[in-house]
Amino acid sequence: MDFRPLTETERRTLTTALRGNSDRGLALLMDRRDTSFAGTAEEVPDEEVINAIKSVPCHY
Amino acid sequence: MGLLDTEFGKRRLLSVEVPAIEKYNEGRDAEFKIFLNRVGGTLVLSYLLKPCHNIYRLETRLLSSYPTVPPETRVLTPLKHCPHLLEGQTMCLWRQGSTRAVSRWDPAKFTCVFALQAAWRWLVCYEIWHDTGEWPLPEAK
Repeated sequence: MDFRPLTETERRTLTTALRGNSDRGLALLMDRRDTSFAGTAEEVPDEEVINAIKSVPCHY
Repeated sequence: MGLLDTEFGKRRLLSVEVPAIEKYNEGRDAEFKIFLNRVGGTLVLSYLLKPCHNIYRLETRLLSSYPTVPPETRVLTPLKHCPHLLEGQTMCLWRQGSTRAVSRWDPAKFTCVFALQAAWRWLVCYEIWHDTGEWPLPEAK
């Protein structure tokens, strides 16, 4: 695979989103068609839970 | 308890795991859907994830001891060696002995789609690590 790196802005956005997820339970949203990052949300409607990474267990 | 060889396992498969996979696949582009295969006594979920620009091929194995034992997720796309990556490009996702509840796999709460979601977040961390050399989230004790 030819790895395409993140831009500075993308990296900053993703880092902030991950920390929000880890520190205060912010949901990371996956695009429902192709799984790409689609932003963050405080609240997720029931029908979108399958595309929201919120309470996923993880050791890091 | 095996998903395929006990009544309890079969009930869990049909009432929890398969509906979760069907829900995940709804409205999803064909190439990004989960494909479920049986390999001996193991169920294997095959799928693609594209958290950012790069597309990764993965498989999550539900061993015969699943869901008591967490699923194993492996990245088939070649990666650079990085933190939280075990032999065979198996993702290190959970620490069952941890005192922190969110670090442990809980069979009462999670389905195989949670494993996919955890893999997605791991890949976001990997992409950031690839650029910076630092895993963006601290490791839990």
